[in-house]
Amino acid sequence: MKKFLTLILVAAMTLSLVACGSKKESKKFTMGIDPEYPPFSYMGDDGSYTGFDVEICKAVCEKLGYEFNVFEVNWDEKLVQLDANECDCVWAGMTILDSMKEAGYTLSAPYYSNTQVLLVKEDSGIASSADVAGKDVAVMLGTSGDELLNTDLKDLADTFNNVITCDSFLKCFTELGGGAVDAVFVDYPVAASYAKENAGYKIIDENYGAEEYGIAFRAADKELCAEIEKAVAELVADGTYAKIAEKYPDIIDNLVFLR
Amino acid sequence: MSLFTMILKMSEGLGRTCAIFFLTILFALPLGMVVALLRMSKRKVVSAVTRFIISVLRGTPLMLQLLAVTYGPYYLFGFSVSRNKLVPVIIAFAINYAAYFAEIYRGGIESISKGQYEACEVLGYTKAQTFFKVILPQVVKRIMPSVTNEVVTLVKDTSMAFTVSYQEMFTIGKQIANSQTSFMPFIVAGVFYFVFNAIVDFVMGWFEKKLNYYH
Repeated sequence: MKKFLTLILVAAMTLSLVACGSKKESKKFTMGIDPEYPPFSYMGDDGSYTGFDVEICKAVCEKLGYEFNVFEVNWDEKLVQLDANECDCVWAGMTILDSMKEAGYTLSAPYYSNTQVLLVKEDSGIASSADVAGKDVAVMLGTSGDELLNTDLKDLADTFNNVITCDSFLKCFTELGGGAVDAVFVDYPVAASYAKENAGYKIIDENYGAEEYGIAFRAADKELCAEIEKAVAELVADGTYAKIAEKYPDIIDNLVFLR
Repeated sequence: MSLFTMILKMSEGLGRTCAIFFLTILFALPLGMVVALLRMSKRKVVSAVTRFIISVLRGTPLMLQLLAVTYGPYYLFGFSVSRNKLVPVIIAFAINYAAYFAEIYRGGIESISKGQYEACEVLGYTKAQTFFKVILPQVVKRIMPSVTNEVVTLVKDTSMAFTVSYQEMFTIGKQIANSQTSFMPFIVAGVFYFVFNAIVDFVMGWFEKKLNYYH
């Protein structure tokens, strides 16, 4: 019995060795993710990593014929780990910071952008945030816009005549429509969908509180970055990108390539 | 943010809270009397219509009435929304409270016995004289506790002006609570309302005593 088992094991090992040898050598692509950042990258119900970024990366690898791998980075040391070749990129809902650019990392074009914008009436004659000085602005209580006007954008808020906090987006927009305020400070996707459904409004986008996500590669990997960007562009063109994005309704409106 | 700045900030809104309170009282008390008289009209149609209006005003939340008065004209007729929110707020509050006051007045007026009207007639009083000289003084005394009830409720209801973004005390409290992720502003607001109502209680009690001249 023992001999028989040994024989089978040896046979199996030999076979697997043969299999290894015969497999076509494909390039490995290791994606560095933060496994705790839904909906971009997280552990799915089946225990394997999934998320918007992971699915896009998988599709990219399939297109380029790369072998897809995942490496869970330690978020504080993600760039060190990238430099140490533990992964080929950091691609996990990562905000592009100026410090990364200064450090020389190869950064992809932003694919996700969460900015605050001013929604104004088309005939209001307001063309930039400078025109809003001395005017009334509505903001929804508790949104990032509300927070920004109280912190980072306090200087901007101080130029307004009055900031009115409403308890719903609809009320903000009604105040604007009814002429009680001159602008609404709101997340881009919310403003965009309202302006699309209702005629007579326009968006003033001056990158307030911009938060842009991109992919980081090693400084030397400019070609790889271009290759991935090209593949993503192809996915956008053939509709695969939009199809994947549809599974993540919370972020779909902020995806730059789908605008 | 220190507790002191918090209280200071919220006090800024207290003026607006007081504005809602006093203006509502100013308009709702007399308006309620008009509504009460219409409600008791001998003409069936007038009485029925008034009764229906009262039932709508009492049967729907004040919050919805605030929204309707503020944004209704815009949605229905394209009128512009008032920049000074105090105007629609006072209109909504005054109409709503007039409905409640009207029913209190009616209860008071109907509690006066028929014999008094007959006595006045015998003495040659006109209808107006009867009402203002004999009936009304008695009514006012009888309805005082119910009116106090409504007035106390009004103090707390002023916080509802938030629905139309009128920056009164509670609205500012909410904003602070939100930005500081602290519960403290709500406690401050609670103390503000309680003190406000303690004063209202005292004043109304004093009035009642003053009116108690026959006892």
